Amino acid sequence: MSDNGARGGAGDADMRPTSSADTRATGDADMRAARVRAVVAIGERLADGRDALGREARERLPEVTGLSAEGVELALSEHLETRVSEEELGRLIERAGRARRCVVVLSANVCTGALRAIAFATATAAEVRVKASRRDPVVAELIVRALSVEEAFGAAGGSATLVSQVEASAGDEVHVYGADATIEAIAAGLDREVTLRGHGAGLGLSVIEEGADAKADAEALARDVAALARDVVAFDQRGCLSPRVLMVAGGSARAIEVAEALSGALARAEERVPRGRIEGAVRAEIARYVGTAAALGAVFEGPGHVVGVDMEPRELVVPPAARVVHVVPVRGDEIARLVRALRGAVTTVGASDGGTARTEGAITRALRDALPPGVRFTRLGQMQRPPLDGPVDLRRVERG
Amino acid sequence: MSTESDLLHARVRAFIGASLRALDAESADMGTGGGETARMPASRETFEELANAIGELQMRCVGVVGRLWRARGWSGGWEEMPGVPADVFRLARVAAHPVHEDVAVFRTSGTTSGARGEHAFRTLETYAAAALGWGDLWLLGGRRDLAVISLTPPPAEANDSSLVHMIELFARQQSGGVSFHLAGGALDLDGVERASAAARAEGRRVLLCGTSFAFVHALDGAGGRDLRLPEGSRAMLTGGFKGRSREVAAEELRRGIAAAFGIEERAVVGEYGMTELSSQLYERTLLCTHARHGVYTSPPWVRVTAMDPETLAPVRRGEVGIARIVDLANVGSAIAIQTADRVRVLESGDIELLGRLPGATPRGCSLAVEEVLG
Repeated sequence: MSDNGARGGAGDADMRPTSSADTRATGDADMRAARVRAVVAIGERLADGRDALGREARERLPEVTGLSAEGVELALSEHLETRVSEEELGRLIERAGRARRCVVVLSANVCTGALRAIAFATATAAEVRVKASRRDPVVAELIVRALSVEEAFGAAGGSATLVSQVEASAGDEVHVYGADATIEAIAAGLDREVTLRGHGAGLGLSVIEEGADAKADAEALARDVAALARDVVAFDQRGCLSPRVLMVAGGSARAIEVAEALSGALARAEERVPRGRIEGAVRAEIARYVGTAAALGAVFEGPGHVVGVDMEPRELVVPPAARVVHVVPVRGDEIARLVRALRGAVTTVGASDGGTARTEGAITRALRDALPPGVRFTRLGQMQRPPLDGPVDLRRVERG
Repeated sequence: MSTESDLLHARVRAFIGASLRALDAESADMGTGGGETARMPASRETFEELANAIGELQMRCVGVVGRLWRARGWSGGWEEMPGVPADVFRLARVAAHPVHEDVAVFRTSGTTSGARGEHAFRTLETYAAAALGWGDLWLLGGRRDLAVISLTPPPAEANDSSLVHMIELFARQQSGGVSFHLAGGALDLDGVERASAAARAEGRRVLLCGTSFAFVHALDGAGGRDLRLPEGSRAMLTGGFKGRSREVAAEELRRGIAAAFGIEERAVVGEYGMTELSSQLYERTLLCTHARHGVYTSPPWVRVTAMDPETLAPVRRGEVGIARIVDLANVGSAIAIQTADRVRVLESGDIELLGRLPGATPRGCSLAVEEVLG
């Protein structure tokens, strides 16, 4: 399967800067930046519950997403991209391809995912066609509608339309966000001269390293689990950045302690942002997971969450995506073995030490070595708020 | 612990023997009944007594059972036993004995993650008593003159396969010899054709064994080969496809097997077994004219209960749920297993198998559980 312009891209030929076209190239980059900024400006309106666009989103999203009204509010007000720095914008444009037209195919993604996907598409091409998810079309529809009357977008050469079919010809790019099988099916129907970027399913891993001493550790732990709970609660854990597994340094007793603390933090978060409705098949998966975790170690349950512990992990269990976190005690030297099966699925790592290479602990360092390039490393509490510097999932973009 | 375990194994074998003798008497008019049961000691224990004794041992000595059952507050009674999810055999050791006492470890065929479930045994005597006792009744029909043709690897190539071990047990009882026809992952259809021809030449009935995907490969590759088996032969069909062949509806596969091997459709007997269990269930079509395919009978030392997949509480008889299987022969591992297989327990007590519980449809870009578990 092709990605990151691995095939096609012929439409870019007349857009490359040449010695006599520097001005044109700069102008082209400015136009792309202006289009992205126009999309981000619509993000601001969606985030604002007083704006007509924001109001409509809040009215329609609980029904189609299954999130609670509070969950929708959280997604729109705290997880929608409403600003972009010049540096981030530069990286986003650099990561984007160059095409005559870009077709964006959205699955029933996290409800705000359409904004970044469309922003990235407008950095790729002036003409953007959006095939929204049938199950969850709201944000895509609202953005496209708003863009069609947005002067700044039009002035930057932009046009955006909703489509019901994926139609692309030589020189176009197609960005597909969805299950791996969906990406493969769409790719199979495309002309070889069309560039495909696929962003498949994924998950986040989280890490709580050992503290320097017991007192500092207790304070840090309370902070870390609260931050992690924010990452879990967003989108009810349905996003490809959502943490599903928590790796804990310090042995099985500490893993139990951390799991219990996380359960408390999730219970408190549940009071502010209740979990949305979940279908029967998910409830069945949760029931199976609870039995498995109870056999492997311990389970801490609340009305809208589950935290399970495997005290001696042979492999990582991926729990259902419904505010369910699987906790494992690990040592740095076990990481490569434990993540082997999930290696290609990890999109992001949230770490208690901030996820910066300078300060990170043994587990985070080992994950950096074990995981492929393109995985986002960040601090707990920020896993669901990546900078607007490219697609949310950089795995495929970064891989050749 | 080993003495306690040995005693429990002996009590379970006695229970199996007593159960089979009782059935022998009942089914004498069906022409079934075998020699296995005569060698087994008598038992006056009830299922409940034995289940409780095994449960108490496992609470103390099998870590995963103890943790799960304490968490659920089990205090006795087979109907209240929480089933250990079958996945747990992949994630932890499920055994009452230490590794150095293993005499056999059976492994599942694996998932997309590459991990395999493991079922360790300190003795295989109870497994043999259960497998031979129930197989003798519903598959072998008490015969001892069959030739066994197996579409599986030989034991030397698959000594961790419970299926291959069971087929080997069957073959040891029979006088017609055994041949295995899957080697290096490839099916040897020329060998199957030769074995079939030899059986025809001798006029010897055959027990043909294989998994669904092996039979699909056999049918796909049969071409013009003459695979017909002598009259009175039977086939044991087990397992799913797991992506190893194209998927074929059970009815179509059964019809194809019957046509290719020249046997009656009712002689294609479905077997339900799991690496995590020590006992098997069978369709009764070979010996009961009124029995239908898709409906399985469990031995008296096994209880299958349909559970609500969301609450894991028993559903009413006749309703569909996922199977929790209490298998007394699982003395040294987990007596109660929670599967993800959908079943309906019929009024007769027989079990209608309805396929695996489907996974949830992902609502976002989160990785689905099934994508990992395979």
